[in-house]
Amino acid sequence: MIFDINFVGLIIASIMASAVPLILASCGELITERSGVLNLGVEGMMIIGAISGFALMTVTGSLFIAVIGAMLGGVLISTIFAFLTQTLITNHVATGLALTIFGIGISAMIGKNFVGIPGKEFPVLFKSLKDTIPFLSPILFGHSIVFYFAFALPFFTNYFLKKTKIGLIVRAVGDSPESASNQGINVKLVRYSCILYGGAMCGLAGAYLSMIYTPQWIENMTGGRGWIALALVVFSTWNPIKILIGAMIFGGLTIIQFHMQAIGVRIPVQFLTALPYIVTIVVLVVISRDSRKIRLSTPSSLGKSFYKDN
Amino acid sequence: MNTNLKVSNVTKIYPGCIANDNVSLEFESGKIYALLGENGAGKSTLVKILSGVIIPDQGDIFLNKNILKLNSPLDAKKNDIGMVFQHFNLFETLSVFENLIIDSDEKKENLREKIELIMKKYNFLINLDVPVLNLSAGQKQKVEIIRCLIRNPKVLIMDEPTSVLTEQETSELFLSLKKFSEEGILIIYITHKLKEVMLLCDEVAVMRKGKLVSVSEIKNENIETLAKKMVGQNLKTIKKKKVETSSDQLIKITNLNFISEDPFETNLNNINFSVNRGECLGIAGISGNGQSELFQILSGEIISDKKSIEFNKNYIGDLNPQERREYLMAFSPEDRLEQAAVPQMKIFENVALNNFKSSNFFKNGLINENKIKEHAKKIISDFNVNTDNIELKSQFLSGGNLQKLIIGRELITSPDLLICFNPTWGLDIGAINYIHETLIKINEQDKSIILISTDTDELLKLSDKISVIHKGKLSKIMNADEVTSEKLGVLMGGGEID
Repeated sequence: MIFDINFVGLIIASIMASAVPLILASCGELITERSGVLNLGVEGMMIIGAISGFALMTVTGSLFIAVIGAMLGGVLISTIFAFLTQTLITNHVATGLALTIFGIGISAMIGKNFVGIPGKEFPVLFKSLKDTIPFLSPILFGHSIVFYFAFALPFFTNYFLKKTKIGLIVRAVGDSPESASNQGINVKLVRYSCILYGGAMCGLAGAYLSMIYTPQWIENMTGGRGWIALALVVFSTWNPIKILIGAMIFGGLTIIQFHMQAIGVRIPVQFLTALPYIVTIVVLVVISRDSRKIRLSTPSSLGKSFYKDN
Repeated sequence: MNTNLKVSNVTKIYPGCIANDNVSLEFESGKIYALLGENGAGKSTLVKILSGVIIPDQGDIFLNKNILKLNSPLDAKKNDIGMVFQHFNLFETLSVFENLIIDSDEKKENLREKIELIMKKYNFLINLDVPVLNLSAGQKQKVEIIRCLIRNPKVLIMDEPTSVLTEQETSELFLSLKKFSEEGILIIYITHKLKEVMLLCDEVAVMRKGKLVSVSEIKNENIETLAKKMVGQNLKTIKKKKVETSSDQLIKITNLNFISEDPFETNLNNINFSVNRGECLGIAGISGNGQSELFQILSGEIISDKKSIEFNKNYIGDLNPQERREYLMAFSPEDRLEQAAVPQMKIFENVALNNFKSSNFFKNGLINENKIKEHAKKIISDFNVNTDNIELKSQFLSGGNLQKLIIGRELITSPDLLICFNPTWGLDIGAINYIHETLIKINEQDKSIILISTDTDELLKLSDKISVIHKGKLSKIMNADEVTSEKLGVLMGGGEID
């Protein structure tokens, strides 16, 4: 096999494509967690997004409606979580786990009628530029709009948290909801909004899977990506840029180990399949070792219920 | 412009407790008002009502004759009422400036300019761009005050502001408060410290058990009359008898160092001291200067070098708390409800927790409930814990009773050394007196105490020797009768004395 530079570009592009759902879901969950809410329902919200998107695409035929609908699907199911944890003050962990089980179940039920239906082609941008520059072209051009959005999102998220007033308020609520409430910040409203935003991003991540990445509906098609997204948030120490790095490593190793399996490298398949999980976490732990920075970016109130007593 | 704040017939009832019982008060600007009372007297509830954090069941608030509806802290802010809470309302991981801009509508540059003007005017020195967790308690309080001043408040409420400050910081605070008052800000000062009321305030309102007891001018009062009003009875003063202590060394700390990776913790730097039998060593300092790290190392929650701690001629630096108890050490941590007792467990279960090895309590892996209950009853009666229900969950005990229970649990095994950390923090005068008497008693029985405390009066009262911890370093060890609270204050602030 001749080492073709364009081929390397294509591999990188496919790695990036596989990182997209992780980036979207992680960046959404990051905002939720920065407000102090631990939503373990990422997997559930993603799969709801996946089936909502695919079903709406099949029924209405409109990709736009399908994408928006997938996000709304994520918002809808995260509203259940928000209502339970913020209004009824249930435990975040238990509610999040229940949300995932619920999401997987209900998506399988709705999805029954959509199994085996082929998806639609999703339009790509800059298609004409695809062959202009060697190596870079396949990386930069010819992707869906969701792809570009996903790679911009970590930077937007970083900017939002560090530079904007609302980002500051989100961080403040995550640091100390009691203080925030005493300062007149509506903690519940902030947390509700962050949960719903997280839901929307997870819905979009799901839609990317069922409409763009592998355009079809398969039961349980998120395949644990939600849990990886959750791990990325924690091991990146709530830093969106590190999420991007982590998602790329994970996507990269997933793709590379597929190729290795295909070539027939004599390493046990189980080990190859486990490799991305292990390496991603090790790398993120190593690059986030500064305990001072961890303390400064960890939302102190994460997973703790807050209620006001008058 | 004059400000008039009126509280009219305010009542707030919690299940099982009337926090404010028909309280009416009137305040005028130009004066500093003290709101005096013991813990649980209802002062904090009243000021939380004034700042919109708590909504009263009945009663009204008037500002300049206009009725105020305070349904949230925002309403109080909008009506120019500023409040500095006892437990700071700051966001530890955000920078000082971020803390200040979060509830301000002004542009960044304008706000920064304004803050710098305020700091210049009142001589505050704070770096605006470091995270709040790097600041001392005094600086944090200044951040809180700046936060109020940004909004040009008409009323400034200070809730127990000096509980975390040094003597020097306290006098600085008083100067600032007097300046604010001269500038026309109405100041309400909540405290249970009588000295401060006499020093600072013009008028004093005393509360007891949710009721307003009296309102009077300071010039007609003195410490004794105020104490009587506050407690409702005459206070006996206790004093430690001066006895010759032995030269028999019980515990010796040599070259103890601790380096933490946690930015919230303080490193300890070359700590050396020793305590003789029957002696009480007091360790003073502003909170956050390494006391809790020192306590954890002494108690074995943090393991240190084996040879750094010598107890009764054994090296025990690498032993855990349970093993240290077997050498007859006992511990009373600062946080009663989190560290010392398990809040959700019953009283009798809690008293068994420091005694896992006792074959009386546990046999073949089973709990001998009757034995433990007997033991619990004995502690309750010996140490004056005001309950007869040993099935009560410990979180429902008042601070004073819980502290008595913990001290009792530790002392009933008759240890050689008791290490306590802020044993009377947040307690009312009655409970404080009882704890102090108990501590004096164990010294008289030739047992030793290491008393880590932020309360200098307590240290001067109980200690034979005193040292000060500042930024993880221990000052030289002084005889208590050579020390004054002023001297301690200088050392606590990091100064030097001859």
